[in-house]
Amino acid sequence: MKKQLWYKAIVRDRNGKVLSRENRRSRSILGNWYRILYAHMALTSISLIHTSGIDRGVIYFGDNWKFKADANEDSIGIVIGTGIAAVSIDDYKLDSQVMQGTGSGQMRHLASIPDWPSVAGSNCDFLTSRTFLNNSGGSITVRESGIYCRVKGPTYYGYACIVRDVLVTPQAVPDGGSITIDYTLRITA
Amino acid sequence: MEEQDNRTERIDIEANQSSEPRLSYKVEVTDKDGRVVQSEEGPSHSYVRQWNEILHLQAAAIYIGGGGTVKMTNGSIESNAYYSVRSFDSNAGIGVDRSGLRVGKDSTPVSINDYTLGSPIAEGIGIDQLEHQLTYFTSPAVAGSTLSFTMQRSFVNHSGATISGIQEIGNYIEFTGSMTGKVALGFRDVLGSSFSIPDGGAITVTYTLKVIA
Repeated sequence: MKKQLWYKAIVRDRNGKVLSRENRRSRSILGNWYRILYAHMALTSISLIHTSGIDRGVIYFGDNWKFKADANEDSIGIVIGTGIAAVSIDDYKLDSQVMQGTGSGQMRHLASIPDWPSVAGSNCDFLTSRTFLNNSGGSITVRESGIYCRVKGPTYYGYACIVRDVLVTPQAVPDGGSITIDYTLRITA
Repeated sequence: MEEQDNRTERIDIEANQSSEPRLSYKVEVTDKDGRVVQSEEGPSHSYVRQWNEILHLQAAAIYIGGGGTVKMTNGSIESNAYYSVRSFDSNAGIGVDRSGLRVGKDSTPVSINDYTLGSPIAEGIGIDQLEHQLTYFTSPAVAGSTLSFTMQRSFVNHSGATISGIQEIGNYIEFTGSMTGKVALGFRDVLGSSFSIPDGGAITVTYTLKVIA
């Protein structure tokens, strides 16, 4: 039996030509993923640090885990950054997030809708993908990726970082180019 | 690329630092005096497809009429599945056998398409029935780079005779519904040996959910 999370990073230039690619097993699903899971399985609430850095907790709630993201949203969905801090089980945000925009060090965040899970053989794959466009006027080197999801505490809504990876190979995205991050959660019976 | 991935995975495993989320179980049978008479523990085999399908309902915020489809433990298809406050609810109460941890008698190997235990034991004190106790959870705890929590449920045999042939365990999780949800199989395991529960005794199932960063 395996339950594994994989990521793929693909960098393209302004003409769509693939410049580089990295496909590896994620390290890692973070503790916050399991804190949300616990709140739902046990129908309770628990301490959880939101991406704001404040412990606003999580309680079982319908919106939890939502990481479907609209265009231009950088508070939810797959996110990217330039930080290199090693992954820790209690990470609650990216080390240095690339924000939405066309300014220096910013990238345009496209919409992201998680795919329906698919079964092939003994695997069930759940894929979500997001593309980021670099119209900043300069090259941006992406070194980390992750997933931010919607989460609700007993009082406040917010967002939680549930996955974070430091890319093994820094991915330089040229001006006019793009980077696409895929995450696949695979269950193997 | 795949060779590189495999090499990285081997290094992780050898260093015991695999970031793979881990699910494991422990099964223990006690007699009427509380003495352990049989036990087994090991890695789980395995989450099944409904786990990802329900996670998808949440992640994609699939609403009513959004086409969410999940097969339920009764074999019917819920074709209007949607994200819910009840998703993954496993906190079954005393006497409840529609959800939560279950035990059964089937030994068919686990398939990704499993949607129920093969032969689940029902609630009661009749022949081949067990009394389903409360579900207990331990809170998530971090130790070093690991976070884990456990869920546990006991089943007491007051049937008047030994119940033998227990060979499967699993978790029925709720989804889609604000008060009482629909129910789907989340994970299932076939045990390495057949368990027998003496009259007056009990079987206790503990699952540990763990992730390592």
